[in-house]
Amino acid sequence: MYLKYTFLSVFTCLLASATALAADNSSYIHKLQQRADDSNLWQHREWLNLGHYRQSKIITDNYSNAVDDEHFFYSDNGKTSPQAELDATLAAFFSEQPGGNEHALCRSPARFNWLNQHLQIDAARLPQPVCSDYIEWRSHIHAESATLVFPTYQLNSPSSMFGHTLLRLDPAEDENWSDWLSYAVNFGANINNDDNSLFYAWKGLTGGYPGQFIVMPYYEKIKEYNRIEKRDIWEYRLNLQPSEVELLVTHLWELKDINFDYYFFTENCSYRLLELIEVARPGIELTDEFVITAIPADTIRSVEDAGLIESTSFRPSQETVTKQMITDLPTEDYAVLETFLEQPLDTQDPAFQALDDARQQALLGTTYKLLRLRQNRKARDPETASKSHLLLAKLSRYPKTPDPLITPPVKPETGHLSKRLTLGALERDGHGYTELGMRMSYHSLEDNEAGYMRGAQINIFGMALRRRNSTGTVYLQSANFADVFSLSPRSRFFSPLSWRVRGGLERVFSDDDERLVGHVTGGGGLAWSLHEDSMVYSLLTARLEANSTFTYKVDPALGAAAGGLYHSAIGTGRTEINAEKFTGGEYRINFSLTQNLVLSRNNALQLKFKREWHNDRDFNEVGLSYNFFF
Amino acid sequence: MKKYITSIILLTASSTAFAEAPGGPNCGWGNMLFDGTSGLGNHIFASTTNGTSGNATFGMTSGTNGCSTNGTLTYGGKEIVMSPIMDEFSEDVARGHGDALDAVAVMMGIEPQDRDAFAETMHENFAVIFPSEDVTAGEALTAMHGIMQNDELLTKYTV
Repeated sequence: MYLKYTFLSVFTCLLASATALAADNSSYIHKLQQRADDSNLWQHREWLNLGHYRQSKIITDNYSNAVDDEHFFYSDNGKTSPQAELDATLAAFFSEQPGGNEHALCRSPARFNWLNQHLQIDAARLPQPVCSDYIEWRSHIHAESATLVFPTYQLNSPSSMFGHTLLRLDPAEDENWSDWLSYAVNFGANINNDDNSLFYAWKGLTGGYPGQFIVMPYYEKIKEYNRIEKRDIWEYRLNLQPSEVELLVTHLWELKDINFDYYFFTENCSYRLLELIEVARPGIELTDEFVITAIPADTIRSVEDAGLIESTSFRPSQETVTKQMITDLPTEDYAVLETFLEQPLDTQDPAFQALDDARQQALLGTTYKLLRLRQNRKARDPETASKSHLLLAKLSRYPKTPDPLITPPVKPETGHLSKRLTLGALERDGHGYTELGMRMSYHSLEDNEAGYMRGAQINIFGMALRRRNSTGTVYLQSANFADVFSLSPRSRFFSPLSWRVRGGLERVFSDDDERLVGHVTGGGGLAWSLHEDSMVYSLLTARLEANSTFTYKVDPALGAAAGGLYHSAIGTGRTEINAEKFTGGEYRINFSLTQNLVLSRNNALQLKFKREWHNDRDFNEVGLSYNFFF
Repeated sequence: MKKYITSIILLTASSTAFAEAPGGPNCGWGNMLFDGTSGLGNHIFASTTNGTSGNATFGMTSGTNGCSTNGTLTYGGKEIVMSPIMDEFSEDVARGHGDALDAVAVMMGIEPQDRDAFAETMHENFAVIFPSEDVTAGEALTAMHGIMQNDELLTKYTV
């Protein structure tokens, strides 16, 4: 608690000191810079972390920097030279200009503390700016511990597909604080409201949007994720000490309004948060392994591997809570629930009056939840508002309403790792093949399900090579850019849509040969749960294919698909039949059976049988492959 | 606990602020119940950048026109962030417990040992705090204040 005032107390001490002469200062600054240089301070890990420098692996004195903002640096060469930046920072501390909040001492408290610790800067010589903004900000932030927050992905929102991470700053545990009032540290784009969504999505993916750290009350994030986006939230309390959190918070202030490069896959929210944690605990290395992609679940793993996680908790989304409440209702009460939802509320209904208090209470509570979920993202309408109010007023006449008991799912970080290597042997149309495949991320419907959401497939960047055993010819079998499949089962009270979008290169049987074609294929439809562990689905599909044998080279096709997914202890099984016909007359019908066999968390075998019907001929494919996740 | 309360009871000029509308002059009475989430979900693809739109404030609360940017209402010298969590709060009052009710209790400076009593009193008085669906955050706070004043245990938090 007291540590957070060290920086402020420096200024308090200064009040007593005399103003130093500028001339004296320049030689003193030079002396400090000399001392810093003698001990190679600029090469210290802590300094590089504070400046967000990344050292090149190849040329070791080459530094790059993701900060894309002149305001962050005191030296013109600051972006590439940590040494010049250190010298310029020291000089800026002694400069009389600019005054007040813009002064280096106000803007860079963490840099000052660290340099002061190493150089014992003579406080009497420093100017005394009044850092009113920083002081006000610190009065809001009560931080003695930090929690890494991971809102998981939501099925029907493609852009949330990998999830997100943010950091929450909490006061000490014994303070009887409400974590709703803690502050959340979020790295993301600061959006221009005039941009439309598609343009914005594109800029987000390609890095056109600068990212910034944003600090806001945690209840805003709970509302955003738990309520509006229906995403469950995992919270990982970190074992950072108060002094380490203090370092993080002082550094966070230095990043206020500072623009960073932002890339969806690499230098994203998760990556930047890891950098913050590295500042808090110098010596740990969290970001090195994420050169290509930083998927939130992987970053949680790296934080766990670094021994930073103290405890884990699960905050179910409003949808998860509501679904549990519906499950908890006796099924014979569903009819009343339906009436309550669809009709004006009538609690004099004999069917309702006949129930005991606990069941009445549960019905009112569940109706309210469902009504609010349906109102999600919609503007306030007087009728629903009035009904919502009436439901709460009725509910308030019963004793305390208990929370539904929700068993947290398997922790996402304990699931299989994100990259997949596949080695397979198969026989197709009488020929033997060997296959080698690689996928950068993340999860297929059939893959080991622990830690992942059922019915959610997110595959980005995958490719496979095949070797025809008889001839020894090796060729590209497929190169997928993306394959996202979202199966959300419908029920009496929820009616989500299911969909699939995929695109890339793949080899298909066409015009009596195996040909590599380019395609974009999409579909939409419905899914239903048969029981807890299985679901069936059916989709209408459309495909655009670039195929050299087509008359017009690019042909569209329409089709349909139906399938089933079955989860069991040995592994997930899947059946699918799909058919499509191109405008040029070519048709393809595939029937497939796939069974995944879980060997361990990161190892699995997959059996596949496939029958294909084509214009020219029909044949079978049988294969066995081994999947290794890493 | 004390240190947090003191920071929540920010620099409000006096504790007799009851004469003026919550939130200060011209700041209105906060939003209505069930104003909900409209307008927040417009960015379908918002999560590609996990962005925040508009006036991100880095956790600073004071806005430019003297009204707070985070929906804070000032009441009895305490800053109560009510508008943004009003839907959740009304549900918790109806249920008799919950995170939003806890958050409001913390903001009001209710000591841990009195939180259950606070929750129970609010629960019993749902109809007084939320007489209709058109109640605003400010009106709800006024009603809560009245209830607490007349409550033997909770009256000490209204001074």
